[in-house]
Amino acid sequence: MFWTVTSSLLEGFAGTLKLFFLTQIFALPLGLIICFGSMSRSAIIKYPIRLIIWIIRGTPLMLQLLVIYYGPGIFLGVNVWGTDNGGRFTAALIAFVINYACYFSEIYRGGIQSIPVGQKEAGIVLGLTRRQIFFRIYLLQLVKRIVPPISNEIITLVKDTSLARVIAVYEIIWNGQAFIKSSGIIWPLFYTGAFYLIFSGLLTVFFASIEKKLSYFR
Amino acid sequence: MPILEVKNIKKKFENTEVLKGISFDLEEGQTLSIIGSSGSGKTTLLRCLNFLETPDEGTITVRGEKLFDGASPVTDHKRLRDCGLHFGLVFQQFNLFPQYTALENVTLAPLLNSDTFSREKIIENGKHLLDDMGLADRMFNYPHQLSGGQQQRVAIARALALEPDILCFDEPTSALDPELTGEVLRVIRSLAGNHTMIIVTHEMAFARDVADTAIFMDGGIILEKGPARELINSPREERTRQFLSSLNS
Repeated sequence: MFWTVTSSLLEGFAGTLKLFFLTQIFALPLGLIICFGSMSRSAIIKYPIRLIIWIIRGTPLMLQLLVIYYGPGIFLGVNVWGTDNGGRFTAALIAFVINYACYFSEIYRGGIQSIPVGQKEAGIVLGLTRRQIFFRIYLLQLVKRIVPPISNEIITLVKDTSLARVIAVYEIIWNGQAFIKSSGIIWPLFYTGAFYLIFSGLLTVFFASIEKKLSYFR
Repeated sequence: MPILEVKNIKKKFENTEVLKGISFDLEEGQTLSIIGSSGSGKTTLLRCLNFLETPDEGTITVRGEKLFDGASPVTDHKRLRDCGLHFGLVFQQFNLFPQYTALENVTLAPLLNSDTFSREKIIENGKHLLDDMGLADRMFNYPHQLSGGQQQRVAIARALALEPDILCFDEPTSALDPELTGEVLRVIRSLAGNHTMIIVTHEMAFARDVADTAIFMDGGIILEKGPARELINSPREERTRQFLSSLNS
């Protein structure tokens, strides 16, 4: 039984990991774009972006999942997600990406604003372009500053993926819970915790090594 | 012909007029010190010369080329950068880039501004400059591994690497512990004569001994200017006398 459960949970965990990695691949860069938008000098860009950030950070991720999955059908009368697993997964991914990109954007913004203005001025006086100032001077200092808060968010993301089950996206908890109905046992559900723990442990080690790599400057 | 001609520079922030029409000339190879109490507009003037602030009025001319004209200010980024390169600036807070070594700080901008062809020459030149600053053994250290005085000397080398026509210093020793100011002042002194320099400073003895001319600024205007030794030893204006004696008390 243990091996049956383990292999089923591993299968579910593959879904968890897929959602986790894809969310990051899209949310980390999207967050930077949103960040630049929220710091834009143009009010037409800045305020709508800040409104979106407020809405996304101010409402539960579970609600956002439901709105993105059911919203188009209810409000527009079109079922954009289809009826198969792939459609539900895409809907979940979009909700996660938007949600995490907004959180990341605020972390980036805090990081950028914490870099002393003298760094930018030194770059200007040395005749660097705005692009060079960002990529050659700001970027690495920014990465160093945001590793701790970003790693916090990313470890939260590992666990948040379990919310995808509200729109029936298969992930590890879904598979663990299935044993309650099929076999009348609850321990597989608790067993899922071990998977989360091991994975977030690995992430912790990974982020600690990045922090160490960047400790050569202050 | 003077290397630098500044005419009628005016600058307002919100409702405060910080510079109320500043005009002066500077000859090539000369050192000018700008003194005055805080809030007199010294730093703003330096920032205007380095294109960190845009004056509201006035002109800035270097070697006969009008770099800035308040009547038709340049907005093109490329042109602004080119104009700015006529000036170098050493900041009060050094503003070294923490993730780069001393040598990388010095060579970053020249390497980015040039083709790979001259790469080795730029690095050689960077090493040479740091050597001149007495930092031959510190080239591969990161800023946090250096003392304030060493950091400021790296910053001076960094500014010199771009070979500006005029090198500006904004209170270069104000952020340093007293025992570290000497090494920085010595380096600046060694540059006098070979470089055209503008130094905003509160070190009166230094301003008197190193500078050829001095300007006393007060409330956004130049209240008095003249040979540095004369102005600091025997100022004509009552306000200048007050300022100088307040430093000694």
